[in-house]
Amino acid sequence: MIEIFRNMWRRKFRTFLTIFGIVIGIFAFTVMGSMALKLNKMIDGGKKYITGQITISPKGSSYGMSSGTLPIDTINKIAQIDGVDKVGAMVSMLVEDQNPDNASMNMGQPATIYATDFNSEFKNRNWETMDMREGKMVGAGSTDNEIAIGINIATDKKLHAGDTYKIHGREFRVVGVVNKTMTGPDDYVFMSITPAREMLIESNPFMESLFVQNRLKAEDVNSMAGVSWKDGYDSEKVATEIKDQFGKDVSVMSPVKMGELIDKASATMNAIILGSAMLALIVGLFSIVNTMVMSISERTKEIGIKKAIGASPRSIAFEYTLEAGIIGLVGGAIGMGLGVLAADIINNKMAAKGAEIFLIEPNFLIAVIVFSFVVGILAGIIPAIRASKLNVVDAVREL
Amino acid sequence: MKEKIIVKAKGLKKSYKMSKRNIVAALRGVDIEVKEGDFSAIIGPSGCGKSTLMHILGLLDRPDEGTLEIDGVDMSRLKEKKAYKIRSKKIGFIFQGFNLIPTLTALENVMLAGKYGGMRTKERKERAKKLLKLLGLQDRINHKPNELSGGQQQRVAIARALINDPALILADEPTGELDSKTSLEIMEILKKLNRKENKTFLIVTHNLDVAKVCKKIIRLKDGLNA
Repeated sequence: MIEIFRNMWRRKFRTFLTIFGIVIGIFAFTVMGSMALKLNKMIDGGKKYITGQITISPKGSSYGMSSGTLPIDTINKIAQIDGVDKVGAMVSMLVEDQNPDNASMNMGQPATIYATDFNSEFKNRNWETMDMREGKMVGAGSTDNEIAIGINIATDKKLHAGDTYKIHGREFRVVGVVNKTMTGPDDYVFMSITPAREMLIESNPFMESLFVQNRLKAEDVNSMAGVSWKDGYDSEKVATEIKDQFGKDVSVMSPVKMGELIDKASATMNAIILGSAMLALIVGLFSIVNTMVMSISERTKEIGIKKAIGASPRSIAFEYTLEAGIIGLVGGAIGMGLGVLAADIINNKMAAKGAEIFLIEPNFLIAVIVFSFVVGILAGIIPAIRASKLNVVDAVREL
Repeated sequence: MKEKIIVKAKGLKKSYKMSKRNIVAALRGVDIEVKEGDFSAIIGPSGCGKSTLMHILGLLDRPDEGTLEIDGVDMSRLKEKKAYKIRSKKIGFIFQGFNLIPTLTALENVMLAGKYGGMRTKERKERAKKLLKLLGLQDRINHKPNELSGGQQQRVAIARALINDPALILADEPTGELDSKTSLEIMEILKKLNRKENKTFLIVTHNLDVAKVCKKIIRLKDGLNA
């Protein structure tokens, strides 16, 4: 083992360059992998939510963010469909209006109001409760000026349970802070649907004018609705039934189809992210192969001596494979360290905006280290086998 | 008491194909017998097949024809993959250019051969230290080869050849890179090991002064016993 390190040290500059190649590969792998983990976690959270209900939104809207509304009459009619258990109206809108003059690149999602009807008995089948860091969740029994907030908003605005938070000119009392979920709810403001409807109307001059003219009722202002199905019913059949009856007016997102769509999208994204990281790693791998081939041709004489004094081909192959593995391991450890550092620094900077883009998981880091060792070993195998097959007489003749 | 035969080779032939038409016959039927405790020299002019013979006796190469027994074991049909086991336990090598591993200390160089011979770490460390002390290198055990003189390096190489207590020690021009005074010292060491420890030496040399020290001389000429 000591000899391996001494051999690496013997050609310091070359070893450094080889390790550097691996460092870059593993750095890219760590950073991209952490990004993929974060995105996957977010997507999984979204998927869990989306597949826990049939989501209904006004035709032409993009997941609740629209100026279109879902009339209460439609919601009530949907509730009558065979297989539908409960329907819950929701309002979703941005906490702060986007200012197009001050647009900035935002990797995370913007702070969003997630308002539900506290009197509704509707519950998402996969997402019934939230872990609270402080206080309690809003729900049945909460007043209209009470809100619970996601951790990113709490951190960004320095809010705690008991504080007051002003949204669209209204003051709300924070009664709870939701624990970190690494997904959408980290950026949510949970509140009752009543003030949310009012704020949505106020934020839209067209809607406001209709409202003033009494042509729009507040209860008709719903950005979407969640539908749960009765036990024993197939969610897809219920979704199809809703679509058949209300397809003209509403978009219906069925749990299974949405789940499949999300899986497909995340698989493509993962392939792109990890594929680019793998490319960097392959370059690093070939730098090990190159170093080992050179190192072995330089050490032909040594291999000859070792064989002459009784080294088995296997022990020669093992020695050189291990050397390559250690180069991979050292490069991997440094690359991973730098990757974690970079991800951490960027996360800390972005955390204030609630837009952490990396998820650093110990299991992933262990896998990266093991992977870098394995990559080194793989790169070393062929040169090592060549070394073990060196003809002793030819090697000895070089003496 | 009957003397034990360490090496018994008959009709060893070996040729090398240099090109399609150029085949060089290095050995053309060499017989050799080395008994336990022998201190023999193989001498002959350049190109007479000395090195080829040494490679074959040291199981580094295989003869095209002929039989070879080392310490009573038939090596003629020995597979290449098994040769290293015999080599590590029964044969010790001393090379002209010392050929120590540059990254290892004197002690580690000696221990390495012990490792290949299947000795446990503690055992090989103790034995390596003992041998280096025997060869007067007790103060140099932690020195790397480049920190040692030629004579000292060759003494480390001798200790390395001895660690597995081999039946035969092959020395290829052991004084080839040493000045005459150091050459004499090294030859004295080998002789002493032969006399006191009954070690069997077969020394390949073209130096007649070295050969003169040996008890027995085997002459080769044009790939044959002369």
